[in-house]
Amino acid sequence: MKKALVYIENGYEAAAIDLLEVVRQVGQNCAFETCALCLGGNGTAPEGYFDRVIRVVQPSPEWHDVLSITNAIEELHERDDFDCIVILATPMGRLLAPRLAMRLRVGLVADVTDIRLQDGEALMVRPAFDGKILAGIVSTGSKPLMMSVRPGVFSYKGARDKATDKADFIPMRASPRQVELLEATKKKTFSDIRDCEVLISGGGGIIKGFDQIQPLADELRGMVSASRRAVDNQIAPRSIQVGQSGKMVSPKLYLALGIHGSMQHFEGLRDVKHIVCANTDRYAPICSQADIVVEGDALEFVNRLLARIRRGKESKG
Amino acid sequence: MKIICLAKFIPDVDHFVYDYERNVLVRENMDLVLNPDDACALAYALALKKNRQDVEVEVLSMAPLSLLPNLKELLRLGADRGVLISDAFFSGSDTYATSCIIARYLADAQYDVILSGTHALDGDTEHVPVQVAELLGLDHMAYIVRFDDDSFLNGTCVFESEFDNANARFRVRLPCVLGVLAESRYKLPFVRYENLDLNVDDRVTVVTNEELGFSHEEVGIAGSLTKVASTWQPQMKKKEQVIVGNDDEGIETVFQFLKKEGYMP
Repeated sequence: MKKALVYIENGYEAAAIDLLEVVRQVGQNCAFETCALCLGGNGTAPEGYFDRVIRVVQPSPEWHDVLSITNAIEELHERDDFDCIVILATPMGRLLAPRLAMRLRVGLVADVTDIRLQDGEALMVRPAFDGKILAGIVSTGSKPLMMSVRPGVFSYKGARDKATDKADFIPMRASPRQVELLEATKKKTFSDIRDCEVLISGGGGIIKGFDQIQPLADELRGMVSASRRAVDNQIAPRSIQVGQSGKMVSPKLYLALGIHGSMQHFEGLRDVKHIVCANTDRYAPICSQADIVVEGDALEFVNRLLARIRRGKESKG
Repeated sequence: MKIICLAKFIPDVDHFVYDYERNVLVRENMDLVLNPDDACALAYALALKKNRQDVEVEVLSMAPLSLLPNLKELLRLGADRGVLISDAFFSGSDTYATSCIIARYLADAQYDVILSGTHALDGDTEHVPVQVAELLGLDHMAYIVRFDDDSFLNGTCVFESEFDNANARFRVRLPCVLGVLAESRYKLPFVRYENLDLNVDDRVTVVTNEELGFSHEEVGIAGSLTKVASTWQPQMKKKEQVIVGNDDEGIETVFQFLKKEGYMP
């Protein structure tokens, strides 16, 4: 039976379990035995979802110690000979995946958004060149097939009642640690656009007035998010970026202000109930997916809508 | 103390040319800009050089020869040396093959630290600096938003990295590879007026496969471990929609829609 390995990063357990859907799609013709690799510590082992859960112990590498995690997976691979390795593209996952791929001398496809089977071979699909095309990529070297997948792109709805075989794994090859963690500070008042039901999102068409979006978001009890164009222009932080290279979001209402709507941007919108967009170009791709298109300047629209909402409140009050 | 800065020139994503027959990006004669994260890494190195006399900065890029003028511009900003790895032989290399090529040059180079960007805006894979570090047997950390002032003074570097929901301070022993974020806001200086036409030719080296000695199977499309098997244009289903103007009537339509769907608090 073919074997697949999923790396479970502490704090991202649920998102990593969803990677089982990737494994399921790659193994449509021949199901994989699934194996989860966890680090010791406080993380909860994803029992019931995987055939095997392996915990690296004695010592368990720290979360930021990519070199030791790579060593551990390499050793495990030498023993278990995996056919497929999938890594969640968290910030640390994005450092781990390329190092591991180079160590194993295999190709790596980053930020896979879909799997297609072509003549029995798995095509790893990702948008390329600002989303103007979708590329189906194959790995030409030896196994394992390796890819990274952003959180929230796939969703696993399969079995969760497997008899999971649990085991510890003690790596033999320790490496001297170079990167030493001095201190970590959790960001206070951290709220995530992924948890919000209303997103007011600004793009290239509202760069000049980006700071004026917030009052509208406040009125609609939503959060401000941004397209990559806004982030590239350094008027919005990467943490609120929607899209393939940002976050996958599923709000009920997505208000797209001056956003063109590249394929990468749509990759970030999952199960959005309503889209309203304001754009000077009614033929921008985002408009084709909207419930209402307001043809015109996005900033002007923000101010007019804000005035209308406030007027409504006054007449009510 | 020597810093090598990895610099990637990226296509202006609005004007790229794609070779649909070979399934590769045409990088010749394109309008390219320095990747923003890489620019911040170089900016930090140049700022450090300005304050400390023992700092030497080399900029290393892999690109077609047509990018030589772009590299020379970076020398006019204050970098000491520029190296352009360039050979038609390397064309079509994926991130794996590219990392092998850059690492082979670096294996014989002198340096205390290698700085790069974290993200590359065009592909956004972040593979190359990590894979170069792996090939050189070096440690690596990225997402750096700030270096401590006394970094690089005693064989170590202390810096702060920004993650999704936390910031972390790390200390790392040199040599290593470090990735900077554009959020660090380190800014490249402007070219000084007297340096506008400065001749920097004697400080630029072009490295070809003659020096690196790869075989045909190791690099380019043949040496790549990933291959684009097919490409297609995304198809989207068109949704039924209302198109309104940005006037009182249009605003009212949106307002009533938001109210009807329960979005008005």
